[in-house]
Amino acid sequence: MSGNPTILSSRVRLARNYQDLPFDVAGKPDCAAMCVARTAGALKLSGNDEGFELLHLKDMGDVQRASLAECHLISRDLMRNPDVAAVLLNQQDAVSVMMNEEDHLRIQAIRDGMALQEAADACFRVDDALSRQVSFAFDEQLGYLTACPTNTGTGMRASLLIHLPMLTLLKQKGSVGQIVAKVGLTIRGVYGEGAEALGNLYQVSNQVTLGRTEQELISAVTAVGHQLTDMELALRDKTLSTGRSALEDTVYRGLGLMKYARCMPLEEFFRHWSGVRLGAAMGLVPASLSALDALLIQVQPANLQAMTESAATGHALDEKRAQCVRAALAGIDVKD
Amino acid sequence: MLCEECKVNEASYTLSVMVGDEVTTRHLCGDCMAKMNMDIASGNIKSLLSSILSAITGNDTPEEKQAEVVCPRCRTTLSQFTKTGRLGCPACYEAFHEQLQPMLLQIHGRVQHAGRRPLRTEVAQRNRTLREELERQMEQAVAVEDFETAAALRDRLRALSEKEAAQ
Repeated sequence: MSGNPTILSSRVRLARNYQDLPFDVAGKPDCAAMCVARTAGALKLSGNDEGFELLHLKDMGDVQRASLAECHLISRDLMRNPDVAAVLLNQQDAVSVMMNEEDHLRIQAIRDGMALQEAADACFRVDDALSRQVSFAFDEQLGYLTACPTNTGTGMRASLLIHLPMLTLLKQKGSVGQIVAKVGLTIRGVYGEGAEALGNLYQVSNQVTLGRTEQELISAVTAVGHQLTDMELALRDKTLSTGRSALEDTVYRGLGLMKYARCMPLEEFFRHWSGVRLGAAMGLVPASLSALDALLIQVQPANLQAMTESAATGHALDEKRAQCVRAALAGIDVKD
Repeated sequence: MLCEECKVNEASYTLSVMVGDEVTTRHLCGDCMAKMNMDIASGNIKSLLSSILSAITGNDTPEEKQAEVVCPRCRTTLSQFTKTGRLGCPACYEAFHEQLQPMLLQIHGRVQHAGRRPLRTEVAQRNRTLREELERQMEQAVAVEDFETAAALRDRLRALSEKEAAQ
């Protein structure tokens, strides 16, 4: 089994701003252009620009932009100002420097599984390379100054994408919320608009950014990630002994539908995907967790459109999704 | 006591705001307190800010007072900040210091930065000048075939690179 039983990915981002520019550059193209030119120039001058590509959102199509957001390489917020927004992207290393988002810079890195330290180190390398060349808005008392006071200080948000199907099913999310809030973190659903977290996927991240070191924040998020994992795995073990047949039924039904359905809306996909990932993590389904995690990203609307080179939407897109899911699970068979 | 925010439910939480040496308290119900915490978590700090401003000014409609505070650099006013929850520029932190301090304390629990610091530009500048000078001397030494001096200069350049990497 490759991949983590609960934690899909770790992400760290740092908010940074230039001392001499207004935070909001949406209506100020000169300032926005200066932010991009300065950042790209500084990265190049530092000699750390290998693998980075400068992309202006205004030069990209809607599908390409949305696809990068679905891969978590840029934020949804970056797409709000496509006229001025840009990103220095190292796709290979999953490191991006978003420019002209809420802050001038959002330096971000993603790693698979539980690897917040590695993600943070990748961000720090870029941060150091840039801060050798440029002046960031920094105050001795308040640390890095950001557009919103919720990011002031370290400007760092460390988050885990975590799969908690059993905790959700057994409605223990209330106690999860309490654990998380007690140590200054937040938990929220990642996909979907409403209260329900599609795919039972949650994001745990630090809420506090000021007065703690980056290491303290990473440790806090990591500790809660481990704690939630322990709770989830304990419930999974318990279910194997007390409710195995109901669990197997859910997992294998989901697998059957994913293997053979001809049309699969995204919400339905999330439901079956969650069951099959749970089954794979518990050894009921011989599928690789990292392949299932990759599938989750592949079947998002813009990625599907990009991959199939079609502008299909609605039912036609749901058919393409089903096709993609069938292909991914073609070799997965369960012995009775 | 009624919640000072919704004025409907019984207040069960006390929000203490410290400005200078003066502590002002606001009494909130569970719902309004939870809403405020949710807002903070999602980056929406408007309700917290207006609550704090109310506590400072002692009334529920502090707009008149807010309009008086303007950031000298970007001209953002305190009432704009209250409305959007976003500051205009780094200088706003100084201009709105009095209002920001209690808010930062409420959000983060602490107001003294403990994390990383930028590698100062002046240090980088100093090192750059030194590097250029050493490189120039090394080229000269090589030109006159003074390899002993060139090697010593090369070692100093290496040490400088290592020092920069450590920083």
